[in-house]
Amino acid sequence: MPSLIAEDVNVWFGQRHVLKDVNLVFPDKEVTALIGPSGCGKSTFIRTLNRMHELIPSAGLGGKVILDGQDIYEPGVDPVAVRLKVGMVFQKPNPFPTMSIKENVLSGLKLSNRRTADANGLVETSLRRASIWNEVKDRLNDPALSLSGGQQQRLCIARSLAMDPEILLMDEPCSALDPGSTRRIEETILELSEDMTIVIVTHNMQQAQRVSTRTAFFLAEDGNPGQVVEFGETEQVFNQPIDLRTNDYVNGHFG
Amino acid sequence: MEKVITPVARPKTAEPWKQISFTNMVLLVLASVVPLGVALIAMLAGLQFELALLLVFLPVQLVVGALVGRRVSGKRGMSDAILQVLVIFFAASVFVLLVSVVWSVIQSGLSAMSWQFFSQNNVYISQSTSLEYGGVGHAIIGTLLLVTLSTIVTVPLGIATAVYLTETRGKTRSVVRTLIQALSGLPSVVAGLFIYAMFIASGITQYVGWAGSLSLIPLMLPTVARVAEESLLLVPQELRNGALALGAPAWRAFWLVTMPAAKSGLITAVLLGIARIIGETAPLVVTTFAANGTNLNPFNGAIATLPTYLYGFINSNFDTAVQRAWGAALVILILVAILFIAARVMTRSKKAKKKAGK
Repeated sequence: MPSLIAEDVNVWFGQRHVLKDVNLVFPDKEVTALIGPSGCGKSTFIRTLNRMHELIPSAGLGGKVILDGQDIYEPGVDPVAVRLKVGMVFQKPNPFPTMSIKENVLSGLKLSNRRTADANGLVETSLRRASIWNEVKDRLNDPALSLSGGQQQRLCIARSLAMDPEILLMDEPCSALDPGSTRRIEETILELSEDMTIVIVTHNMQQAQRVSTRTAFFLAEDGNPGQVVEFGETEQVFNQPIDLRTNDYVNGHFG
Repeated sequence: MEKVITPVARPKTAEPWKQISFTNMVLLVLASVVPLGVALIAMLAGLQFELALLLVFLPVQLVVGALVGRRVSGKRGMSDAILQVLVIFFAASVFVLLVSVVWSVIQSGLSAMSWQFFSQNNVYISQSTSLEYGGVGHAIIGTLLLVTLSTIVTVPLGIATAVYLTETRGKTRSVVRTLIQALSGLPSVVAGLFIYAMFIASGITQYVGWAGSLSLIPLMLPTVARVAEESLLLVPQELRNGALALGAPAWRAFWLVTMPAAKSGLITAVLLGIARIIGETAPLVVTTFAANGTNLNPFNGAIATLPTYLYGFINSNFDTAVQRAWGAALVILILVAILFIAARVMTRSKKAKKKAGK
């Protein structure tokens, strides 16, 4: 059984129903892309997978998110424990400004009060996996903000990887970056997918095709709650979509 | 093939948006000279300086400015000129007021300054004793003790309030915010009388240092809480989310990410809070009273502070007593100046560090 499953996920903000009956199964060690026009709820959905959703004051939720056989929304489940297993990279790079590059990589350990025997080793492995090691190895003690936007984003990926999550959520990780940085992050994603499950929200359809094996197309029509219109192999969703609306979207007819 | 591109020296006309025609230049010069001239003539005719400034200079400057503004850039220029004249005039008045306050304290207080004014206390000193004897050493110590005591209590309380307001979703946040705002309007003498009625008039204690510290807390708390709240609000939500997404409990995310990011603002909050209470007189007169000797124990007996010392000497017929009072005022001013400079240095050093990193 795959380790991450969303069952009948519904989301409300206040009284507004924004996501209806989302059922997705995320295959282990594969990349799943969530695509769809702005406002369709894909970013909202990805935040339900590591319980970041509930940090929004008016948020409401129905359904189950099953991680390793357990519903993470069951009473008694500690959101902190969930977030330790499910890492997240945000749209805007958000390295901690008061910390150096090295401290940023180790910040997850410090924030969750864990220790490691080999801090330097962990810093190097994490930065290597995020393919930024060669650029920063000589200035690990420089402030994180001295890096470029693309480097900051890869540092944030390294920061998540240092916690060794089972699953990595990426919410439009390249939308604030130039094409060069985007390409490097896509390469990183492909390498990472060899040993972890990745869910990525993207607006860029070429990117979805390049990095993902499965794609879910989200759509919210005329103020209705967002829904998953189509979910399948990326190849199939883009080349032989079953739903006409998917066809229109992936061919650029709207959105 | 290599192409050489030679840079060209920057021409004087490199700011075309600042070019101005000769007529307009003349008009602008006229606009700034004519009102001054008119006011001078009015003064020569026997008008008082203040009256000339308000009744002649300001109206003339407004009218001339408006006309020239209209001529140079139309209707918008007219309202622009009027607003500019008003803003500059009143900003300058406030600046002059501020400088004159500081200047008169320095001028009047300087004659009392000497080493012994800082080191000695007020024992055996009467209103007419020469300035060579006695000083405010005991009052400096008293002020520092009381302010330190208040700060130790208020800073954790104020920052905790700010954390409650910004970092939690407590249901009573709006009530707390309103109460804090109301507290900042509390007249200081009321705070003092409240403590007086509760502890001194009721016979629980005599005049004592800690009662003064207690009465300063409600005055300091709103400043600390509000400035700290502002600085915590400036920390981007993304940083908190980043920390929480890494699996941090909320308190650790605050302690290790949000608070360090707001550090300079929090330091400013503390220093502004101290500056707020360091010159308070009324609550101290009714709680700590005054003492002539040096009292190092704020938990036993009356204690002198700079404001109460000042208050005790300023209404005297003797020149030396008045000079002592001005001297004490200058010492307070110096203490506040040190605090503000410290605040500037601490907040700037952080920015400078950031710049050096880039």
